[in-house]
Amino acid sequence: MVQEKIRVDTLVVGGGIAGMQSALDLADQGYQVALVERDPSIGGKMIQLSKVFPTLDCCSCITTPKMSAVAHHENIQLFTYCEIQAIEENDQGFVSNALQKPRYVDVDTCTGCRQCEYACPIDVPHPFDRYLGAHRAAYVPFSTAVPQKALIDMENCILCGKCQRGCPANSIDFTQKEQPFEIESRAIILATGFEITPPDAKKEYGAGQFHNVVDALVMERLLAPTGPYGHVLRPSDGKEPDSIAYVQCAGSRDKTLGVEYCSRVCCMYAIKQAMLISGALPLADITIYYMDIRTFGKGYDQFYQTAQAMGIEFVKGKVARINEDENQNPVVRVEMIDEGSKVVERMHDMVVLSVGMLPCYDPQPIFGVRSAEDGFVLTPSINMAPCVTEHPGIFVSGTAAGPMDIVDSIVLAGAASAEAAAYLEANDGNRRSVKSTTNAARVTAHA
Amino acid sequence: MATEQPSEELKILILATLSGGYAGADSVGQLHADYATNTYILPVECPALFPKEFYLRTFKKGIDGIIIMYSGTDCPYKGGAERTAEIINETYPLMKERGMDTRRLRLVAICTVCTQPFLKEVTQMNNVLQEIGPVRQELSVSQD
Amino acid sequence: MPDKETSKLEPSQMKTDTEEPRIGVYTCYCGGNIGFVIDCERVADELGKLPNVVVTRTDMSMCSDVGQTMIEEDIREHGVNRVVIGACAPSLHEQTFRGTVSRAGLNPYFYHHVGIREQDSWVHSHDHEGATKKAIRLMSAGIAKARLLEPLEPIKLSAEKHALVIGGGVAGLRSAWDLSRRGLKVTLVEKSPFLGGHMAQLEKTFPSGEEAGGLLGPLIANVVSDPNITVHTYSEVTGVRGYVGDFHIQITQQSRGVDDTLGEAAMQACKTEVQDEFNYGLTNRKLVYKAYPGCYPSTPAVDWDHCPDGYLELEIDGRQIKLENQPKTFDINTGAVVVATGFQPYTPLKGEYGYLEHPEVLTLPQFIRLLTLIPEGKELQLNGHRVHNIGFVHCVGSRQIEGIHEAQEDGQVNNYCSRVCCTATLQAINELRQRYPDLNIVDIYEDIRTYGRGHEEYYAEASANQVLFMRFHGEEPAEVVRATDGDKSPLLIRVKDYLTWGEEIEVPVDMVVLAVGMMPTSIEDLIRLLKVSPGTDRFLLEVHPKLRPVETAVPGVVLAGTAQGPMNIKESIAAASAAASKVAVLLSRGKVELEPFVAHVDHELCTGSGECVEVCAYEDAISLKPVSMDGKEVEKALVTSANCVGCGVCVSACPNLAIDLQGWTLKQYDAMVDALVMDMSAIGVKHE
Ligand SMILES: Cc1cc2nc3c(=O)[nH]c(=O)nc-3n(C[C@H](O)[C@H](O)[C@H](O)COP(=O)(O)OP(=O)(O)OC[C@H]3O[C@@H](n4cnc5c(N)ncnc54)[C@H](O)[C@@H]3O)c2cc1C
Ligand SMILES: Cc1cc2nc3c(=O)[nH]c(=O)nc-3n(C[C@H](O)[C@H](O)[C@H](O)COP(=O)(O)OP(=O)(O)OC[C@H]3O[C@@H](n4cnc5c(N)ncnc54)[C@H](O)[C@@H]3O)c2cc1C
Ligand code: SF4
Ligand code: SF4
Repeated sequence: MVQEKIRVDTLVVGGGIAGMQSALDLADQGYQVALVERDPSIGGKMIQLSKVFPTLDCCSCITTPKMSAVAHHENIQLFTYCEIQAIEENDQGFVSNALQKPRYVDVDTCTGCRQCEYACPIDVPHPFDRYLGAHRAAYVPFSTAVPQKALIDMENCILCGKCQRGCPANSIDFTQKEQPFEIESRAIILATGFEITPPDAKKEYGAGQFHNVVDALVMERLLAPTGPYGHVLRPSDGKEPDSIAYVQCAGSRDKTLGVEYCSRVCCMYAIKQAMLISGALPLADITIYYMDIRTFGKGYDQFYQTAQAMGIEFVKGKVARINEDENQNPVVRVEMIDEGSKVVERMHDMVVLSVGMLPCYDPQPIFGVRSAEDGFVLTPSINMAPCVTEHPGIFVSGTAAGPMDIVDSIVLAGAASAEAAAYLEANDGNRRSVKSTTNAARVTAHA
Repeated sequence: MATEQPSEELKILILATLSGGYAGADSVGQLHADYATNTYILPVECPALFPKEFYLRTFKKGIDGIIIMYSGTDCPYKGGAERTAEIINETYPLMKERGMDTRRLRLVAICTVCTQPFLKEVTQMNNVLQEIGPVRQELSVSQD
Repeated sequence: MPDKETSKLEPSQMKTDTEEPRIGVYTCYCGGNIGFVIDCERVADELGKLPNVVVTRTDMSMCSDVGQTMIEEDIREHGVNRVVIGACAPSLHEQTFRGTVSRAGLNPYFYHHVGIREQDSWVHSHDHEGATKKAIRLMSAGIAKARLLEPLEPIKLSAEKHALVIGGGVAGLRSAWDLSRRGLKVTLVEKSPFLGGHMAQLEKTFPSGEEAGGLLGPLIANVVSDPNITVHTYSEVTGVRGYVGDFHIQITQQSRGVDDTLGEAAMQACKTEVQDEFNYGLTNRKLVYKAYPGCYPSTPAVDWDHCPDGYLELEIDGRQIKLENQPKTFDINTGAVVVATGFQPYTPLKGEYGYLEHPEVLTLPQFIRLLTLIPEGKELQLNGHRVHNIGFVHCVGSRQIEGIHEAQEDGQVNNYCSRVCCTATLQAINELRQRYPDLNIVDIYEDIRTYGRGHEEYYAEASANQVLFMRFHGEEPAEVVRATDGDKSPLLIRVKDYLTWGEEIEVPVDMVVLAVGMMPTSIEDLIRLLKVSPGTDRFLLEVHPKLRPVETAVPGVVLAGTAQGPMNIKESIAAASAAASKVAVLLSRGKVELEPFVAHVDHELCTGSGECVEVCAYEDAISLKPVSMDGKEVEKALVTSANCVGCGVCVSACPNLAIDLQGWTLKQYDAMVDALVMDMSAIGVKHE
């Protein structure tokens, strides 16, 4: 049952890797944290990924323990399937109006046994699997979801009651209503993450209409051990692809889309996926069409060099258009820059669009925090205070502050919690443990 | 490259330091490099823990080869590497006395990213064991 | 099918004797990482036949909430009192599961982790049968150890609420300030006489275009006026003892040589000049100097490195004054250490792109200084020659390829990207274009990596403003050669340009700017003292780039800024703040907990012969002390847990087998070996 009002030191909005890390870094210091996630599980995009560059660790193995640590932390109150609707400010800090959306399942008694799911007759395309797979209308979000609690997708539910009869814990409750409650906090961290370029953004690349032209998040799911097919197969006919192409900057560095910035992660994830595919399909040819390869992070250029040595083909070329032949094979029309910008057409079995990162949430209306021209949260002093927004007491963490990979998100999350902690200390005299004794500067330089 | 799997399993015990060989073995894993399955890695803080007798009784129990993958000069413990080397040097004559081929016991420095040296050591020990056979043979001969 | 239980789980069949080890065995599929190679069900079944095993289960992902909850339930409801998990490397999840076990009310050390992914499924993927058997053996060894596990308590130490920051560049300054704001006391040690590091040498900073001085100044002011921060300039760490929570650090400080009253006069009086490193040798400075206008501290300092005998004689106001370096050494006590020793720009080898062979070849940091030395409105000149054509070359000392690029002294090439040089180069180019609209600018690159927020704009601006771009392949680096006499420009850049069919092109230029990358500041002594390790790229190594990106393997030692790898200012700041967060987590409670893996002496067996004390290399870790036994005073070995590092050297040295390493006892190793050689079929395990 949700209490009507809770009081914490910091509210963290968004439960992706950045929000989780900020929450943990604060909670580990003894601050009270409320984490609000709008989806039914925390984990964000990261939990959808297969393996992660540059170490190629299993993504789930890195993410699930953090999810679990958040769920079990004595200083963190976790609210999933919940949104902030308005905030007010007073001299104590912020009062956020939160809305707990109904799961139609009593989370206190649900054991996550999935009997409701097995009983439910309705299949709904699953966003977690990028719509390649399906979930039931009554479902646990995914196998490693936190919390492991079912919910009912009311939009698709036919109210047949099978789940209710199937549930051994008697947890299904069709009468559940939304529940508003208040979160009082002295600071707020926005960790609302990113979205990928929508599939229909690029008309030249088929606007999402070609079966065998997929976005990179689809490929992540195809490569994930928990993915929909458990194997890399091309969507149109389930054939193992022999030739796969990556089109870089599909949605980034593109004036026509109004996205002039580089999304930072797509070069690396394309190389990563190419490596994973060569592991799964050793005979497949993989080509990456790029403008610049931007493997700038620690160990990343070495990763690129390994991929080149593995025989992955890197072609400096601008892909002008993708067509489809009668067998649904994508045909890529590319300006080969290294060959004097000659235009050629090359057929592949499958094309992966290295889509970019877009902001996913505008905090202006509710939090009074403006975004910059690129749409990500504005941090006026970008160099010296990368987590500090225009609004005192509100900080930003992870990809809400612009495209970045997991390492950078985790580091920025730590920085955001340092800022929030400093803010909390400065605004609460009695918490401050080291008192200023004298104002004399203590700099030693002996003569 | 994977070594030929011996028909009767000749067991190799690898005592690997957490800061060196054990992490190195994990790096080999991350590369998905193949090696023989008769290798049993046990983590140790520092092999200076083990007295000579430990090795002798381990051979007697039927372990055919022991590779100690320590951290060498990178050993995080002061004096640990030197002490380990001393103990191993003192163990060799005792092995000889008991009729054992001293090549069964090997001390090598393996760091966290020493993937090639790791694979080389495993292959070499397997080659040696192929040549000299199981430890029980030697021990039974010497007991006669 | 995962998630199964064996018949042993029936409560009626469970043994009730609580003293007996009741082992729960958990085999993880790790998605498919383990399960696609190892037959986890068979492993679970076979291990279930071993004595003391009361529960054996598998799961898709043991570390997930579902997996962890399952283990907790087994402990609470099925009386499991020892846990053995076969999963990924213990370095990844040992702590996770220790937390699980203790949440369920069991001593966290009643748990043993067996790595069957990195050391089994991933390396035997072509031999499923062999990998499965190996998993059974390895885990049965783990079970053998589990039977002998003892409950342990972490060693609790009180921690100094104080941190030491090494390095006074932007990262170190920022860490210090954040730590103080969090309520900790801080000591900051800077090796050079002045604060600010490399940022002080920059002018405009990307991506905002703000002046570096305008950004750095307030930060320095915050730090030096903060009563909780003590700053020692011209100082270095020369000794490290102790451990997290209680480090004893020795600091050695050089004399400044002059004080405020004498300073200006001494600067005037000094006649000897040396190359000014602040301007990378483009100008000279006195031996008594200030690094830059408005530097902090504002008191000048004497450059002792260039005073051959450690003193400097000056004539001031007709008086002969001898300035002497009298280094001072003192100790501080601190709970944690932030390493922020920064980077050095790569220095090209002699002849690399004509460097040091042709005076017209500069590095980018030099060029940035040069621009500040030329007054606004004055033409671009080098050594009295007007520059009409200028060429920039990217990736100098970065992204090098073995066999193609000449190796450094240590035989290595820099195969990493330095991350800042592309945007810094384009920023310099745009600045140049604004000031000199008629200049011909060529930019020779491999990839343009303007990746950051607000970086691509620099590329767009350069492209729109008549900058000629050429692209080379890494295996075919450009060359800089002297032009033949009579040519107008003194140098030629030879490059195979892939933007024009890979043709070899010769570009005549008056000046070449090399976009050099970053190398870590060489800190061999510090690395040795702190026992941290550099990675293959020589930058300091983090424990895990994603799980623990700013921590080193040494508890209590964290990283901030470019000591860890190339970063720009924003990234250095973020890392510095993240490092402060980690230190705050460690110290803000005033106590730290250490692993209990230390030596333990059985006084029944100890005869006080002292071999252990002799072999132990750690001060005050083990010593002979009188204790009373059976009413008599006898000498016995005693361990001081906080000083014992748990190496176990004393264990093998003890002639009476009186010492054991907690958590890693010889008995446990013997039992593990027994399990590895055990005839499994004898107990009904189908093994061959
Ligand atoms: C195809 C692909 C592959 C990638 N591969 C890698 C890789 O291998 N390695 C790597 O380092 N990086 C990789 N990345 C990048 C990585 O996914 C991101 O760096 C990381 O997920 C960012 O985490 P985040 O927490 O900032 O954002 P997100 O994961 O987007 O999390 C934001 C969370 O906030 C929630 N939220 C949003 N708005 C609200 C609101 N108003 N109220 C409440 N909650 C809200 C969302 O539901 C979400 O859970 C990849 C990205 C893509 C697209
Ligand atoms: C040519 C060039 C242009 C750049 N332009 C930009 C730009 O426009 N925008 C941007 O964001 N970034 C830019 N950068 C990057 C920026 O300079 C760095 O990110 C930043 O200076 C790193 O700060 P730091 O504190 O990590 O290291 P440093 O600045 O190197 O500071 C390290 C400090 O530690 C001290 N130290 C070293 N060893 C010891 C020791 N043993 N004991 C005590 N102290 C020690 C040093 O004396 C120094 O003061 C540029 C870099 C280069 C090379
Ligand atoms: S990271 Fe690579 S693919 Fe992505 S936008 Fe930048 S340059 Fe393009
Ligand atoms: S940032 Fe650009 S110039 Fe610097 S190493 Fe990377 S690719 Fe080369």
